[in-house]
Amino acid sequence: MIGLLKSMATTMKHALDGNTFTVEYPETAPEVSPRFRGVHKFSQERCIWCRQCENVCPNDTIQIVTDEQRNAEQYNLHIGQCIYCRLCEEVCPVDAILLTQNFEFTGDTKDDLVYNKEQLKNVPWYKDIDPLESREPDRGAWIDEGDGELDYQ
Amino acid sequence: MSTQKEELEIAEGGVDYDALEDRLGDTAIDRESHVNAEGFVVRPDEVQDALFALRDDAGFDHLSLVTAQEYEDRYESIYHLKKFDDPTQEVSVVVPTTKDDPVSQSAEPVYRTADWHEREAYDLVGIDYDDHPDLRRILLPETWKGHPLGKDYDQNKPQVVSFKQHANPLKQDHKDAESDTMFVNIGPHHPATHGVLHLETTLDGETVADVEPDIGYLHRCEEQMAQQGTYRHQIMPYPDRWDYSSAGLLNEWAYARAAEDLADLDVPEYAQVIRTMGAELCRIAGHMLAVGTFALDVYGDFTAIFMYAMRDREKVQAVLEDLTGQRMMFNYFRLGGVAWDLPEPREEFFGKTRDFLDDLPEALEEYHDLLTGNEIFQSRCIDTGILEPEVAKQYSATGPVARGSGIDYDLRRDDPYGYYDELDWDVITEDGCDNYSRVLVRMQEVEQSAKVIEQCVDLLEDWPEEERDIQSNVPRTLKPDPDTEIYRSVEAAKGELGIYIRSDGTDEPARFKIRSPCFHNLSVLPEMANGEYIADMIASLGSLDIILGEVDR
Amino acid sequence: MIAQQKTLLPERVAGLLGLDQFGMAGDLLATFLAAFLVGNLMLAMTGVAGPWAKRKITAAFTDRIAVNRIGPFGLFIIVADAVRLLSKELIIPENADRPAFDLAPIVVASSALLGFAVIPMGNGVHLADPEVGLAYVFAVAGIASIGLAMGGYASANKYSLLGGLRAIAQNIAYEIPLVITAASVVIFTGSLRMSTIVQTQAEPLLTVAGLSIPSWFAFVNPFAFVLFVVANLAEVGRNPFDTPEAPTEIVAGYQTEYSSVYFVLFYLGEFLHIFLGGAIIATVFLGGPAGPVLPGLVWFIIKIWAVFLLTQWFRSAIPRVRIDQLIQIGWKGMLVLSFANLVLTAIIVGVIV
Repeated sequence: MIGLLKSMATTMKHALDGNTFTVEYPETAPEVSPRFRGVHKFSQERCIWCRQCENVCPNDTIQIVTDEQRNAEQYNLHIGQCIYCRLCEEVCPVDAILLTQNFEFTGDTKDDLVYNKEQLKNVPWYKDIDPLESREPDRGAWIDEGDGELDYQ
Repeated sequence: MSTQKEELEIAEGGVDYDALEDRLGDTAIDRESHVNAEGFVVRPDEVQDALFALRDDAGFDHLSLVTAQEYEDRYESIYHLKKFDDPTQEVSVVVPTTKDDPVSQSAEPVYRTADWHEREAYDLVGIDYDDHPDLRRILLPETWKGHPLGKDYDQNKPQVVSFKQHANPLKQDHKDAESDTMFVNIGPHHPATHGVLHLETTLDGETVADVEPDIGYLHRCEEQMAQQGTYRHQIMPYPDRWDYSSAGLLNEWAYARAAEDLADLDVPEYAQVIRTMGAELCRIAGHMLAVGTFALDVYGDFTAIFMYAMRDREKVQAVLEDLTGQRMMFNYFRLGGVAWDLPEPREEFFGKTRDFLDDLPEALEEYHDLLTGNEIFQSRCIDTGILEPEVAKQYSATGPVARGSGIDYDLRRDDPYGYYDELDWDVITEDGCDNYSRVLVRMQEVEQSAKVIEQCVDLLEDWPEEERDIQSNVPRTLKPDPDTEIYRSVEAAKGELGIYIRSDGTDEPARFKIRSPCFHNLSVLPEMANGEYIADMIASLGSLDIILGEVDR
Repeated sequence: MIAQQKTLLPERVAGLLGLDQFGMAGDLLATFLAAFLVGNLMLAMTGVAGPWAKRKITAAFTDRIAVNRIGPFGLFIIVADAVRLLSKELIIPENADRPAFDLAPIVVASSALLGFAVIPMGNGVHLADPEVGLAYVFAVAGIASIGLAMGGYASANKYSLLGGLRAIAQNIAYEIPLVITAASVVIFTGSLRMSTIVQTQAEPLLTVAGLSIPSWFAFVNPFAFVLFVVANLAEVGRNPFDTPEAPTEIVAGYQTEYSSVYFVLFYLGEFLHIFLGGAIIATVFLGGPAGPVLPGLVWFIIKIWAVFLLTQWFRSAIPRVRIDQLIQIGWKGMLVLSFANLVLTAIIVGVIV
């Protein structure tokens, strides 16, 4: 009986303290960590079309189309297929692709979720967090590995 | 005989494989060397002899995993054996069978858990097991044609699941027309099955006369996907998705451990401490979910305790998000280390972690008030869902399920990895063997995990700045030697999570097999539930804490 | 007080509208209007309780926010939910036993509404005051179990069948202690008439420092009060005795197959039963509409909402008992205790008073 009363006291305490831990989502945008991984942002200017991101992607999310002279034509990313593992960002030698903190996107069809390079470029920073700032210090670990040689292929 | 038995059991600091070979005598026709243990090759019609000898005379009472695979010239089943008393003592029994007649003797009479494993091997690879009590498909539908992991399987052939063969499960109310029992399908869509699990239940009034878990609804070919990814990068994101109850780092560690031992990679000590801390945070998150959903199963409605557990889990996830960048699908471990150092500013991260740890005792006190101290909860859980230790061992149950039955088995202590052996913590066991013990074990393990995290935070805080290596030198492309085989396991939130990898000289594994703790734990359910009330069966299922993503892989 | 009790609501309505001159027809119309008023009051309360109050209360217990988007405090969710539920497709299972399947929700909802006919709610809101008021209210509330059994059986669903059977077993096990405990009150009052029961409780029990404590039976016999509240929880199938629904075991019990309007009726019926239970508790143990300062009707509503709050509190804090434990508590515990209570009360009343 005492246990039952204790249970009831505990829940009543929570009811009366007035604290809630849920938030009103669209009005209160949640805080995300600087390292949080959301939708990709792509910079055509930086990209050297080395195709490392396409190769490393575990489930073929990234598709790069080049012409016969290896000139870049398309950079497509199926955001609905992405698992946000950040490997593409990790292997990119020039920081051309970054995962922003932005997790808010919708699409009515599967096709809507295929982003081309223009759409990827226009992905906004979430709350103006530039992920490059928070992640820069750690990137050295990747680039300096092995024999100090960076393998672009 | 008895002297020989002692001789074989007293193998301090390792297994005396020669003595084992002597004991097996003619049964062993060859000996293979795997990275983790020696393997004895056994003729397919002498499997039971060999296994009985190893179990009864040498004390290998834990069939950890059965791996089946097809080579160019043969099929092969590997029985990975361990001891509950000392899991570092391992031995494998390799059973090759010919291509034309892939029949092998079943291990089910020796180890009950071989039942489901051999069904899976039959289902996916196509090996027939003689003497198996119930050799049916387990993951794929009954009407599936072909064995998808076989080499001659045509991936493009359409599979027609005909409606005729797929009898309407609602059609028969009774198992047979004369009986007074009622057949009920619990799941795959049911509020308490924790995912898409189907329990074929025969009810006798309110009591469960028979229950048979039907799994496979969430089979996502995780092993196949791993076989098509490179060791270096592409496999690591997937373990997060096996046990997706935010226990991802523990799963990643299972792969990291196996692959690092396979490729002989070192991990810097600093990275080991971070790994240990992250893994224990994940364990807390996983156990919070387990306790919360178990309470939901027993309480019934969308009750307070579930939300409180979710709230505390959210706090852990916030810490993990700061550390890894994601709340559930972390992809934080890398072979040879971790992806990131602790987030800057470090003081803030330590402060946040410590805040969480400081609030934890109060939160746990609340759980005890709401759950374990509650008389109705006690009357619901004590002496229900009994799992005797012998039964648990037969089914190779591990983790909190085994420890709730008094089996003192925890790989973190018994087969140390990471930084655990340097830290001060205890393995929790309870002797009740019932649902209540399993809840108690989980709640106390949360306390122990908090203890581990606290020590890790202390260590990390004082770690000299110049020695903060998060990653060792790892070649960009890993190509382990051909035909290296390894089986390694870690203590995940649900139990022993093991990975078997066979390399073929390329940068992708030739065979990748997951030993899922939930798979074994779920197979115990009939033993716990038969003869109990339907409400207790639901509670027992909740106390097993299965994640269907891991059961079906 | 006495004047209130003498004129019942139908007579008042008749008097106000001048219907009493039309004889029988006028009386009938007045009764109908009065019943319409009371019925709507109860339905309105249910409407507030179901889609809004229940969510808000549960949210408070679980540290969440809950409905707050539509209207002040999210109150307009009631309208939105009503429209949503009614506009859903009504799915009827293939093998459903048709008339029974359709009737079950109506039986459940109407049986609870019938009970309110004899409850004195204060300020003259009292439809009828028969000699056997208390017996009548238990009788009509008991009809609900037939509705649950009909729903459970007619749905052609095994979970529903189990739920229906459980509901019957539970109602039989707890109806007896409920009535027996109420009988111990009748020993005090010497009457089954609701107005008499309320009147008896108006007398002061004792006076402490100038404050007169009325002889509510909750104060006179707290043991019987606790017994009655617990039996009532089981009777209306709320936690910890919600085994007939038991979502984690048998999905939703007897109402698994019900959708749309029928579901609304079941849902309404359940809440009406909680309120009827609250009304019985208020009338028999808490002095009916009595209370200081505020008008009687307000006090009455406060009392039944307090009972509703209690059910929601139990819902978030107390686990469900298993069906065998439920039956054991009912037959081996509650029944024995309620008889002991009855005998003791009889002795005390007979010897001392």
